[in-house]
Amino acid sequence: MGNQAKVKVRNLTKKFGDMTVLDNISFDIQRGEFICIVGPTGCGKTTFLNLLVKLLEPTSGNIFIDGEEANPKKHNLSFVFQEPSAFPWLTVEQNIRFGLETKKRSRMENDNTTEYILEMLGLKECRDKYPHELSTSTEQRIVIGRSFAVRPDLLLMDEPYGQMDLKLRYYLEDEVIRLQKATKSTVIFITHNIEEAVYLADRCLILSQKPTTVKEEVGIHLPHPRDVSSKEFIQLREYITEQIKWW
Amino acid sequence: MTRSRKLLDLALPALAVGLLLGLWMLVYQAKPDIMPTPLAVGKRLWDITIHPISKAILPVHILVSLGRVLGAFALASLFGVTFGILLGWYETFHHIAWPVFEIIRPIPPIAWIPLIILWCGIGETSKIVIVFIGAVVPIVLNTFAGIRQVNPMLIKAARSVGASDRAIMLEAVLPDSLPSIVAGMKTALSTGWMCVLAAEMVVARQGVGFLIIRGMDNGDSALILAGMVVIGVVSALITAALNYLEVKLCPWKETQR
Repeated sequence: MGNQAKVKVRNLTKKFGDMTVLDNISFDIQRGEFICIVGPTGCGKTTFLNLLVKLLEPTSGNIFIDGEEANPKKHNLSFVFQEPSAFPWLTVEQNIRFGLETKKRSRMENDNTTEYILEMLGLKECRDKYPHELSTSTEQRIVIGRSFAVRPDLLLMDEPYGQMDLKLRYYLEDEVIRLQKATKSTVIFITHNIEEAVYLADRCLILSQKPTTVKEEVGIHLPHPRDVSSKEFIQLREYITEQIKWW
Repeated sequence: MTRSRKLLDLALPALAVGLLLGLWMLVYQAKPDIMPTPLAVGKRLWDITIHPISKAILPVHILVSLGRVLGAFALASLFGVTFGILLGWYETFHHIAWPVFEIIRPIPPIAWIPLIILWCGIGETSKIVIVFIGAVVPIVLNTFAGIRQVNPMLIKAARSVGASDRAIMLEAVLPDSLPSIVAGMKTALSTGWMCVLAAEMVVARQGVGFLIIRGMDNGDSALILAGMVVIGVVSALITAALNYLEVKLCPWKETQR
């Protein structure tokens, strides 16, 4: 892919009435890159994500995927929300298939991908269960599986592990890294947990307070699985924390 | 423990029915001239099952009533679900149609009977229209409520994996409202059954409502009670069938009950 960025965000601005929420944001994401976005509470992270998947229209500026204007009908965008959003009327397997079937790919391809994702997530035993029969964390994993299954050009995750306890988070974070590497997906992951960001990201974008801009980009070049108690890890975590604190 | 529990589960309903029959016998003791015994009603039921009244035996009367209900119910479902979706999904349509619906909705279906007979005569059409009026209201209300209560997260989730507007309606909004729609249909069928009896009591030559009126005209209280028992049993069977259908239609709700 050379130096051609997978996703280019150019001069993205969003105003609600007189209030500027996002101010002239520009950055690039390489194919297969895992980006974490961190920022203070209420800095407009969710607005930013909604713009990226075109659930909202920007006031000005644009998002390009593979050099073309982002279009959910054409590009393969996928979104994991904070709250689990598995379809309650579909079984685990049908949930994983949902996105695939809207993409109208060959049946064999869908079958293979579904099996692969079920296997990766260890959900084969409960493939015929309904989400309410499973735990909240499993429901969130179904949604994550559903999102990776469509092999998205860009996958956006909005604090997907916000409601989980620490131990489960580590487990799920390792799982998401595995899935991302295996499917070579490009991921934007929003979190307010800096440790999580340093654990997951290839690069961290630090957002400022409103009107939000990208304050700094920090590359994280540590091998996976990362050691949260290593010196480099702690340095990076403290550095990013400082950047969020100081305005 | 489980065995005695099972026995108790069987014994309690039997006891309740037994109590009802006991109460019935008490009324019979007090007023034997106007209250037949359960046995007499049973005999009358058997009698009308093999000897026709108004050229039809009991199963035919039941089928005639059921046919009216199911015909009107099918129309009411088609219209009610469509109308409810439009009301719930399109704001402009809601603004236009809701006030009209709110004015018409509280009028009891039975109040329509005279007008419907004037308009449609005393044939099948008038009965179907009356049942339709009774059945359509709960279906519209429940469909509307179901659509309004769709989890917005699920719409976003469907949209985020590239579902079209049509797919969002068919694969996210409708399935999420389905339990509510089915609940509306259950209410609609029992209301419809009530309405058909009312319509048949006013004017009909066949049907369960007709049997009751025939009993009244002839001072045949056993026939009246036989008709009432039939209504109860058929209603219970309809409810059981609908519960079964609900489990089939909304299997993900089954274990939540």
